[in-house]
Amino acid sequence: MPRTSALECPGCPPLRALTTDVLGLVKVVEAHGKTGIPKVVETWGQPNASSCVLAASYSDHKTDPLLAVARKNGLVECLNPINGEALGITKIDQPLSLDGFLNDDHVVGLHLFKTKGIDVPSRSVSLLTCLEKGNAFLRSIPVSDAPENSTTASHITWNVCSSGKIICSSVDKSENYALFGGKGIELNMWDLGKCSKIWSAKSPPSNRLGIFSPTWFTAATFLSEDDHRKVVAGTINHQVRLYDTSAQRRPVISVDFRESPIKAVCEDLDGYTVYVGNGSGDLASFDMRTGKLMGCFIGKCSGSIRSIARHPEFPVIASCGLDSYLRVWDAKTRQLLSAVFLKQHLTNVVIDSHFSDEGSNGNTCDQQADLQVKANEGGEGPELLRSASDSSSSGHAESLAATLAEHRQHLVSIQGLVDQLKEVIPAMQMSISDLTEEVNNISSTMVDGFSVQSSTTVQCQSAGRQSGLKSIDLDPNSIARFGLCPVSITVENRH
Amino acid sequence: MGGGGGKRKKAEGSDVDEQETRDKKKTKKGTMLPSMIKNKEKRSVPPEKKVTRTIENTREVDETVCRPDDEELFAGNDADEFNEVLKQEVTPKILITTNRFNSTRGPAFIQELLSVIPNAHYHKRGTYELKKIVEYAKNKDFTSVVVVHSNRREPDALLIINLPDGPTAHFKLSKLVLRKDIKNHGNPTDHKPELVLNNFTTRLGHRVGRMIQSLFPQDPNFRGRRVVTFHNQRDFIFFRHHRYIFEAKEKKDDSKDKAAKSKNITQEKVIVRLQECGPRFTLKLRNLQHGTFDSKGGEYEWVHKPEMDTSRRRFFL
Repeated sequence: MPRTSALECPGCPPLRALTTDVLGLVKVVEAHGKTGIPKVVETWGQPNASSCVLAASYSDHKTDPLLAVARKNGLVECLNPINGEALGITKIDQPLSLDGFLNDDHVVGLHLFKTKGIDVPSRSVSLLTCLEKGNAFLRSIPVSDAPENSTTASHITWNVCSSGKIICSSVDKSENYALFGGKGIELNMWDLGKCSKIWSAKSPPSNRLGIFSPTWFTAATFLSEDDHRKVVAGTINHQVRLYDTSAQRRPVISVDFRESPIKAVCEDLDGYTVYVGNGSGDLASFDMRTGKLMGCFIGKCSGSIRSIARHPEFPVIASCGLDSYLRVWDAKTRQLLSAVFLKQHLTNVVIDSHFSDEGSNGNTCDQQADLQVKANEGGEGPELLRSASDSSSSGHAESLAATLAEHRQHLVSIQGLVDQLKEVIPAMQMSISDLTEEVNNISSTMVDGFSVQSSTTVQCQSAGRQSGLKSIDLDPNSIARFGLCPVSITVENRH
Repeated sequence: MGGGGGKRKKAEGSDVDEQETRDKKKTKKGTMLPSMIKNKEKRSVPPEKKVTRTIENTREVDETVCRPDDEELFAGNDADEFNEVLKQEVTPKILITTNRFNSTRGPAFIQELLSVIPNAHYHKRGTYELKKIVEYAKNKDFTSVVVVHSNRREPDALLIINLPDGPTAHFKLSKLVLRKDIKNHGNPTDHKPELVLNNFTTRLGHRVGRMIQSLFPQDPNFRGRRVVTFHNQRDFIFFRHHRYIFEAKEKKDDSKDKAAKSKNITQEKVIVRLQECGPRFTLKLRNLQHGTFDSKGGEYEWVHKPEMDTSRRRFFL
């Protein structure tokens, strides 16, 4: 009998991803619910071959997130990733060649600065762009609701290489260092503050047969967030190489991966795992401490992988490429969680981490996000959330959402308790001892499993108590407080 | 099997027989079945023919199947590499070459391929690298390069490279029958052929179909009555080359009516006859590469992998 039902995928956690494709469209894919099936929710832009997106960069902030895309016609656009509005446009000047014709020179690298360059008053963003022929630009463009083609914006230009073709570039987490490499260009690292080259790689010696493979880097990334000295690169000779800039110029580790050129490399949060995608659609994870292949991601992926993105909280990665599918994988078990068909050859994928499942419920989503922000800011964030954020950085963050939901449940139950307390006000006034008993009963029945220690000496002063309780309603701080410590409701009587 | 059935019939025999006789009586008394009317012309509308369930029409549901209301598909078509040729802005010009060692059936096949594809030019391979040939063909304004690969003097693969910037399709070629081996074959004229592409349904199939389409001129000479067919069935692409002819034939006269007979003399039935011209072969897509031929650094749009064969009812074209 024919199989009538499709093979089921486990579904992925709540997730929002943006993809760009060769027709210049930006598609938003969202997954809702606990085991959501991702769907295309929005498509921005007009299909046009000349506006093919070559590179994209995403600044993943809670407020004012921004997506920058570099198109084939030389325009770099800043989009609002929430609603797709264009916020700023700039044209990359393609240098004229000697005979006066435009060079066939495309943007290959684009980076949107997240930590610096966003000055609130002037509302401008800094961009690093890099062209195929080796011209790198560092410029800031104004961002406004009415974008105009700003060519007057200040920029710093330098030349990364004199010959060859740049294919890959990357900027580290602290955004002080940039990495370039390509066909005939050894991997080199630049200090963006001084615009000077600080390190360049050296090609490995020819092998024992005397065969020397020419330099051709196709993908590169920084290995860990806090260390700019470790760099992972992929070559066309299907090698994955680890460079340590503080140790030597030749690769520390070099491992082969199958037989197609490495097309995408993406680092994990843990600082040693990298995800590697190649030209025939194989995706694998490597432990770069030992250079060991951890395992392959198997899921009928038939086309070259162009881009991989790691979710900052969940252990989830997204990959896309020429087979026009966006695939979401579990980073730990290497299982395919789900795949979405997006109809065009995809070039880039970015993940919006500040998306929560109950986006449609509005308020709760914001609360949750606020809590996260508080937790991330460190300082006085609630303990439990802080630990949650810690665990997220170590890759166990799937519990975060669950914890928050739990907290909200507790809040509801507490509120129920409070309501019941309100009901018994007259009785309280009649007999304090009766009330004490009753409250003990309620607390034991309503919030079991949660350490609510309602003090037995509940006395009442209705006005003061109510005002105190109202502030509980929707204030995220107090929610946090409730979630954090063993909640002790102490309704005091102040005569 | 048969014995078992017989036994069961014996056991339940009496009951079933009674039931049947009752049914027969009912039908005799009541409605007449259409099959019981002897005069065939008086029969009412025959019952609908059941569609046989084949592997082909019970294929697994595929979300990549193209729909005619998909605007993005057309936008994608307008932007793809074949658009120039298919919009007749450029006339297709094909370079046919072989692998390095080529003999017996290989040259014969190429001879026939040259007669099938208009504006095709054969160049000897020599010892040139394929990348050099692609470069040469680009400079000479060819729109496609076809490489016939043979192994042990038998053509076994076909590589189609679209110029100037890809894609490259690699097909397995099998079941090649040359013209002289086809009985009652015709000899094709040099008119531009009509092209029939059947069953290219998915996005990948669409792309392959457009690629094949871009090998042929888009303005067929219908007077030549030549048809080239690429028929996809279960991911195998069958190639056939025919010539057709319309023949006027007198209609058979069944009715005894004299008035009708007199009418029929003037009426003529037109039937169409096909004559196969050859060659005849089958293609199967192995991979589709992005860009022109690059075996080392190329990236693939589609590669067949063993893990994709989860079911015999899963097809990709």
